[in-house]
Amino acid sequence: MNTQFKKGVLELCVLVLLDRKDCYGYEMVDEISKNISISEGTIYPLLKRLKKEGFLDSYLKESQGGPPRKYYQLTTLGKVKKEELVKEWRSFSVGVNNLLYSEITNDSGAIKDE
Amino acid sequence: MNKDEYLKELRKLLRKLPKEDREDIISDYEEHFTIGMEKGRTEEEISKALGNPKNVAKQIKADHMVKKAEDKPSVGSIIEAILAIMGLGLFNLIFVAVPVLVVVAIIITLFVIGFVMIFGGIYWVLLPLLSFIFPKLLLAPSIGPNTSVLMDSLFTMLGGFAVTIGGILLVVAMVFVSKWFYELMIRYLKLNLRIIEGRKKDI
Repeated sequence: MNTQFKKGVLELCVLVLLDRKDCYGYEMVDEISKNISISEGTIYPLLKRLKKEGFLDSYLKESQGGPPRKYYQLTTLGKVKKEELVKEWRSFSVGVNNLLYSEITNDSGAIKDE
Repeated sequence: MNKDEYLKELRKLLRKLPKEDREDIISDYEEHFTIGMEKGRTEEEISKALGNPKNVAKQIKADHMVKKAEDKPSVGSIIEAILAIMGLGLFNLIFVAVPVLVVVAIIITLFVIGFVMIFGGIYWVLLPLLSFIFPKLLLAPSIGPNTSVLMDSLFTMLGGFAVTIGGILLVVAMVFVSKWFYELMIRYLKLNLRIIEGRKKDI
Protein backbone atom coordinates (compact mmCIF):
# COMPACT_ATOMS: atom_id res chain seq x y z
CA MET A 1 0.00 0.00 0.00
CA ASN A 2 1.08 3.55 -0.65
CA THR A 3 2.97 4.59 2.45
CA GLN A 4 1.81 8.18 2.02
CA PHE A 5 -1.74 7.01 2.76
CA LYS A 6 -0.72 5.83 6.16
CA LYS A 7 0.40 9.28 7.17
CA GLY A 8 -1.30 10.06 10.41
CA VAL A 9 -3.82 7.24 10.00
CA LEU A 10 -2.03 4.93 12.41
CA GLU A 11 -2.61 7.44 15.18
CA LEU A 12 -6.32 7.51 14.34
CA CYS A 13 -6.50 3.67 14.29
CA VAL A 14 -4.88 3.40 17.73
CA LEU A 15 -7.21 5.96 19.27
CA VAL A 16 -10.31 4.34 17.75
CA LEU A 17 -9.30 0.86 18.94
CA LEU A 18 -8.64 2.10 22.45
CA ASP A 19 -11.96 3.93 22.53
CA ARG A 20 -13.67 0.55 22.05
CA LYS A 21 -11.70 -1.24 24.76
CA ASP A 22 -8.40 -1.16 26.63
CA CYS A 23 -5.75 -3.11 24.72
CA TYR A 24 -2.21 -4.33 25.14
CA GLY A 25 0.33 -3.52 22.44
CA TYR A 26 0.36 -6.89 20.69
CA GLU A 27 -3.43 -6.91 20.51
CA MET A 28 -3.44 -3.54 18.78
CA VAL A 29 -0.77 -4.56 16.29
CA ASP A 30 -2.75 -7.73 15.57
CA GLU A 31 -6.00 -5.85 15.09
CA ILE A 32 -4.47 -3.18 12.85
CA SER A 33 -2.48 -5.72 10.80
CA LYS A 34 -5.72 -7.51 9.93
CA ASN A 35 -6.74 -4.41 8.00
CA ILE A 36 -3.61 -2.50 7.08
CA SER A 37 -0.10 -3.86 6.58
CA ILE A 38 2.18 -2.17 9.11
CA SER A 39 5.61 -2.87 10.48
CA GLU A 40 4.89 -4.13 13.98
CA GLY A 41 7.64 -2.10 15.60
CA THR A 42 6.31 1.31 14.62
CA ILE A 43 3.34 1.20 16.93
CA TYR A 44 5.35 1.30 20.16
CA PRO A 45 7.10 4.64 19.55
CA LEU A 46 3.67 6.00 18.62
CA LEU A 47 2.11 4.65 21.82
CA LYS A 48 4.92 6.21 23.82
CA ARG A 49 4.46 9.59 22.17
CA LEU A 50 0.68 9.53 22.64
CA LYS A 51 1.21 8.64 26.29
CA LYS A 52 3.66 11.51 26.79
CA GLU A 53 1.25 13.92 25.16
CA GLY A 54 -1.40 12.84 27.65
CA PHE A 55 -3.77 11.05 25.28
CA LEU A 56 -3.13 7.59 26.75
CA ASP A 57 -2.50 5.95 30.09
CA SER A 58 -1.15 2.49 30.80
CA TYR A 59 -1.61 -0.05 33.58
CA LEU A 60 -0.47 -3.60 34.24
CA LYS A 61 -2.98 -6.43 34.33
CA GLU A 62 -2.48 -10.12 35.11
CA SER A 63 -2.79 -12.56 32.24
CA GLN A 64 -3.62 -16.25 32.39
CA GLY A 65 -0.44 -18.19 33.04
CA GLY A 66 1.94 -15.46 31.89
CA PRO A 67 3.57 -12.26 33.12
CA PRO A 68 1.26 -9.25 33.52
CA ARG A 69 0.54 -7.31 30.35
CA LYS A 70 0.68 -3.58 29.83
CA TYR A 71 -2.74 -2.28 28.85
CA TYR A 72 -3.31 1.11 27.29
CA GLN A 73 -6.43 3.19 27.81
CA LEU A 74 -7.71 6.53 26.49
CA THR A 75 -7.66 9.55 28.77
CA THR A 76 -10.35 12.24 28.59
CA LEU A 77 -7.95 14.29 26.49
CA GLY A 78 -7.46 11.25 24.24
CA LYS A 79 -11.22 10.91 23.73
CA VAL A 80 -11.43 14.52 22.60
CA LYS A 81 -8.49 13.98 20.24
CA LYS A 82 -10.12 10.85 18.83
CA GLU A 83 -13.40 12.66 18.11
CA GLU A 84 -11.46 15.41 16.42
CA LEU A 85 -9.48 13.01 14.21
CA VAL A 86 -12.53 10.93 13.29
CA LYS A 87 -14.33 14.09 12.21
CA GLU A 88 -11.35 15.18 10.13
CA TRP A 89 -11.01 11.74 8.58
CA ARG A 90 -14.70 11.60 7.71
CA SER A 91 -14.75 14.86 5.81
CA PHE A 92 -11.43 14.02 4.16
CA SER A 93 -12.50 10.56 2.97
CA VAL A 94 -15.91 11.79 1.82
CA GLY A 95 -14.17 14.45 -0.21
CA VAL A 96 -11.79 11.98 -1.82
CA ASN A 97 -14.61 9.49 -2.55
CA ASN A 98 -16.67 12.23 -4.13
CA LEU A 99 -13.84 12.98 -6.48
CA LEU A 100 -13.26 9.31 -7.26
CA TYR A 101 -16.77 7.98 -7.75
CA SER A 102 -19.26 10.75 -8.42
CA GLU A 103 -20.27 11.94 -11.85
CA ILE A 104 -19.13 15.36 -12.81
CA THR A 105 -22.30 17.32 -12.12
CA ASN A 106 -21.24 20.77 -13.08
CA ASP A 107 -21.96 20.90 -16.82
CA SER A 108 -20.07 24.02 -17.59
CA GLY A 109 -17.08 22.75 -15.68
CA ALA A 110 -16.36 26.22 -14.49
CA ILE A 111 -15.51 27.04 -10.93
CA LYS A 112 -18.00 29.57 -9.67
CA ASP A 113 -16.58 32.71 -8.23
CA GLU A 114 -17.97 33.61 -4.86
CA MET B 1 18.12 -11.77 14.91
CA ASN B 2 16.74 -13.51 17.97
CA LYS B 3 14.95 -11.90 20.89
CA ASP B 4 18.02 -11.27 23.05
CA GLU B 5 20.03 -9.83 20.17
CA TYR B 6 17.15 -7.56 19.19
CA LEU B 7 16.60 -6.22 22.70
CA LYS B 8 20.32 -5.85 23.33
CA GLU B 9 20.73 -3.86 20.12
CA LEU B 10 17.76 -1.65 20.97
CA ARG B 11 19.06 -1.04 24.50
CA LYS B 12 22.46 -0.09 23.08
CA LEU B 13 20.92 2.36 20.59
CA LEU B 14 18.79 3.95 23.29
CA ARG B 15 21.59 4.31 25.85
CA LYS B 16 21.39 8.12 25.75
CA LEU B 17 17.80 8.13 26.94
CA PRO B 18 16.90 8.32 30.65
CA LYS B 19 16.98 4.84 32.14
CA GLU B 20 13.30 4.88 33.03
CA ASP B 21 12.21 5.68 29.46
CA ARG B 22 14.58 3.12 28.01
CA GLU B 23 13.44 0.27 30.25
CA ASP B 24 9.82 1.23 29.61
CA ILE B 25 10.19 0.87 25.87
CA ILE B 26 12.35 -2.28 26.16
CA SER B 27 9.67 -3.91 28.29
CA ASP B 28 7.11 -3.15 25.58
CA TYR B 29 9.19 -5.00 22.98
CA GLU B 30 9.92 -7.80 25.42
CA GLU B 31 6.19 -8.25 25.97
CA HIS B 32 5.67 -8.25 22.22
CA PHE B 33 8.16 -11.12 21.85
CA THR B 34 6.63 -13.09 24.73
CA ILE B 35 3.10 -12.89 23.39
CA GLY B 36 4.21 -13.56 19.82
CA MET B 37 6.00 -16.70 20.93
CA GLU B 38 2.92 -17.83 22.88
CA LYS B 39 1.09 -17.59 19.57
CA GLY B 40 3.62 -19.94 18.03
CA ARG B 41 5.84 -17.52 16.12
CA THR B 42 9.62 -17.82 16.21
CA GLU B 43 11.92 -15.15 17.62
CA GLU B 44 13.33 -14.51 14.15
CA GLU B 45 9.89 -14.02 12.63
CA ILE B 46 8.94 -11.53 15.29
CA SER B 47 12.12 -9.46 15.12
CA LYS B 48 11.77 -9.28 11.36
CA ALA B 49 8.17 -8.09 11.65
CA LEU B 50 9.18 -5.51 14.25
CA GLY B 51 11.53 -3.87 11.78
CA ASN B 52 15.12 -2.75 12.10
CA PRO B 53 15.92 -1.69 15.69
CA LYS B 54 17.82 1.28 14.22
CA ASN B 55 14.62 2.74 12.79
CA VAL B 56 12.73 2.05 15.99
CA ALA B 57 15.47 3.76 18.05
CA LYS B 58 15.68 6.77 15.73
CA GLN B 59 11.96 7.35 16.02
CA ILE B 60 12.00 7.11 19.80
CA LYS B 61 15.02 9.38 20.10
CA ALA B 62 13.52 12.05 17.83
CA ASP B 63 10.27 12.03 19.85
CA HIS B 64 12.27 12.29 23.04
CA MET B 65 14.48 15.18 21.88
CA VAL B 66 11.55 17.27 20.67
CA LYS B 67 9.73 16.72 23.95
CA LYS B 68 12.89 17.73 25.82
CA ALA B 69 13.35 20.89 23.73
CA GLU B 70 9.75 21.77 24.52
CA ASP B 71 10.01 21.17 28.27
CA LYS B 72 13.46 22.65 28.84
CA PRO B 73 14.01 25.32 26.18
CA SER B 74 17.64 25.86 25.25
CA VAL B 75 19.67 26.34 22.10
CA GLY B 76 21.42 23.02 22.78
CA SER B 77 18.23 21.01 23.07
CA ILE B 78 16.72 22.45 19.91
CA ILE B 79 19.89 21.59 17.98
CA GLU B 80 19.73 18.05 19.40
CA ALA B 81 16.12 17.79 18.29
CA ILE B 82 16.91 19.02 14.78
CA LEU B 83 19.77 16.52 14.50
CA ALA B 84 17.60 13.66 15.76
CA ILE B 85 14.89 14.41 13.21
CA MET B 86 17.47 14.75 10.46
CA GLY B 87 18.65 11.26 11.48
CA LEU B 88 15.22 10.02 10.48
CA GLY B 89 16.00 10.97 6.92
CA LEU B 90 14.04 14.16 6.61
CA PHE B 91 16.32 15.97 4.25
CA ASN B 92 14.17 19.06 4.06
CA LEU B 93 15.47 19.84 7.53
CA ILE B 94 18.88 20.55 6.02
CA PHE B 95 17.26 23.41 4.20
CA VAL B 96 15.62 24.44 7.42
CA ALA B 97 18.72 24.13 9.60
CA VAL B 98 20.73 26.72 7.64
CA PRO B 99 18.10 29.50 7.76
CA VAL B 100 17.54 28.64 11.43
CA LEU B 101 21.24 29.14 12.15
CA VAL B 102 21.21 32.45 10.27
CA VAL B 103 18.20 33.67 12.26
CA VAL B 104 19.82 32.50 15.52
CA ALA B 105 22.99 34.39 14.58
CA ILE B 106 20.96 37.56 13.88
CA ILE B 107 19.12 37.20 17.20
CA ILE B 108 22.40 36.78 19.10
CA THR B 109 23.95 39.77 17.30
CA LEU B 110 20.98 41.99 18.19
CA PHE B 111 21.26 40.85 21.82
CA VAL B 112 24.95 41.78 21.84
CA ILE B 113 24.19 45.19 20.28
CA GLY B 114 21.51 45.73 22.93
CA PHE B 115 23.92 44.98 25.77
CA VAL B 116 26.66 47.11 24.22
CA MET B 117 24.17 49.98 24.01
CA ILE B 118 23.17 49.54 27.66
CA PHE B 119 26.72 49.49 28.98
CA GLY B 120 27.99 52.06 26.51
CA GLY B 121 25.18 54.39 27.54
CA ILE B 122 25.97 53.92 31.21
CA TYR B 123 29.61 54.65 30.46
CA TRP B 124 28.66 57.90 28.69
CA VAL B 125 26.54 58.93 31.64
CA LEU B 126 29.33 58.23 34.07
CA LEU B 127 32.14 59.65 31.94
CA PRO B 128 31.45 63.36 32.65
CA LEU B 129 31.07 62.58 36.36
CA LEU B 130 34.32 60.69 36.42
CA SER B 131 36.13 63.38 34.46
CA PHE B 132 34.77 65.90 36.94
CA ILE B 133 36.24 63.94 39.81
CA PHE B 134 39.45 62.94 38.04
CA PRO B 135 39.97 65.75 35.53
CA LYS B 136 43.41 64.53 34.63
CA LEU B 137 42.54 60.90 34.10
CA LEU B 138 39.49 61.11 31.86
CA LEU B 139 38.42 63.82 29.52
CA ALA B 140 34.88 64.21 28.32
CA PRO B 141 34.74 64.43 24.52
CA SER B 142 34.35 68.08 23.68
CA ILE B 143 31.93 69.12 20.96
CA GLY B 144 33.61 72.42 20.15
CA PRO B 145 36.00 74.93 21.64
CA ASN B 146 33.19 77.36 22.35
CA THR B 147 30.87 75.13 24.34
CA SER B 148 31.30 75.06 28.06
CA VAL B 149 32.42 71.94 29.83
CA LEU B 150 29.13 71.82 31.69
CA MET B 151 27.01 71.85 28.51
CA ASP B 152 29.30 69.29 27.00
CA SER B 153 28.88 66.96 29.93
CA LEU B 154 25.13 67.43 29.97
CA PHE B 155 24.84 66.48 26.30
CA THR B 156 27.00 63.42 26.81
CA MET B 157 24.93 62.31 29.79
CA LEU B 158 21.61 62.81 28.00
CA GLY B 159 22.92 60.92 25.00
CA GLY B 160 24.05 58.17 27.34
CA PHE B 161 20.61 57.91 28.91
CA ALA B 162 18.95 57.71 25.51
CA VAL B 163 21.32 54.99 24.33
CA THR B 164 20.84 52.99 27.54
CA ILE B 165 17.05 53.12 27.25
CA GLY B 166 17.28 52.16 23.58
CA GLY B 167 19.46 49.19 24.52
CA ILE B 168 17.04 48.02 27.22
CA LEU B 169 14.11 48.24 24.79
CA LEU B 170 16.06 46.27 22.19
CA VAL B 171 16.97 43.50 24.65
CA VAL B 172 13.39 43.22 25.92
CA ALA B 173 12.07 43.06 22.36
CA MET B 174 14.64 40.39 21.49
CA VAL B 175 13.55 38.26 24.48
CA PHE B 176 10.04 38.19 23.03
CA VAL B 177 11.26 37.56 19.49
CA SER B 178 13.44 34.62 20.56
CA LYS B 179 10.61 33.06 22.59
CA TRP B 180 8.28 33.33 19.63
CA PHE B 181 10.90 31.90 17.29
CA TYR B 182 11.56 28.98 19.66
CA GLU B 183 7.88 28.05 19.83
CA LEU B 184 7.66 28.26 16.06
CA MET B 185 10.61 25.83 15.73
CA ILE B 186 9.07 23.33 18.16
CA ARG B 187 5.81 23.39 16.23
CA TYR B 188 7.65 22.83 12.97
CA LEU B 189 9.64 19.91 14.41
CA LYS B 190 6.49 18.26 15.73
CA LEU B 191 4.87 18.57 12.32
CA ASN B 192 7.89 16.84 10.83
CA LEU B 193 7.66 14.00 13.33
CA ARG B 194 4.07 13.38 12.38
CA ILE B 195 4.94 13.28 8.70
CA ILE B 196 7.90 10.94 9.08
CA GLU B 197 5.84 8.47 11.07
CA GLY B 198 3.79 7.97 7.96
CA ARG B 199 6.54 8.30 5.43
CA LYS B 200 9.02 5.75 6.69
CA LYS B 201 9.32 3.00 4.13
CA ASP B 202 8.86 0.08 6.48
CA ILE B 203 5.93 1.41 8.44
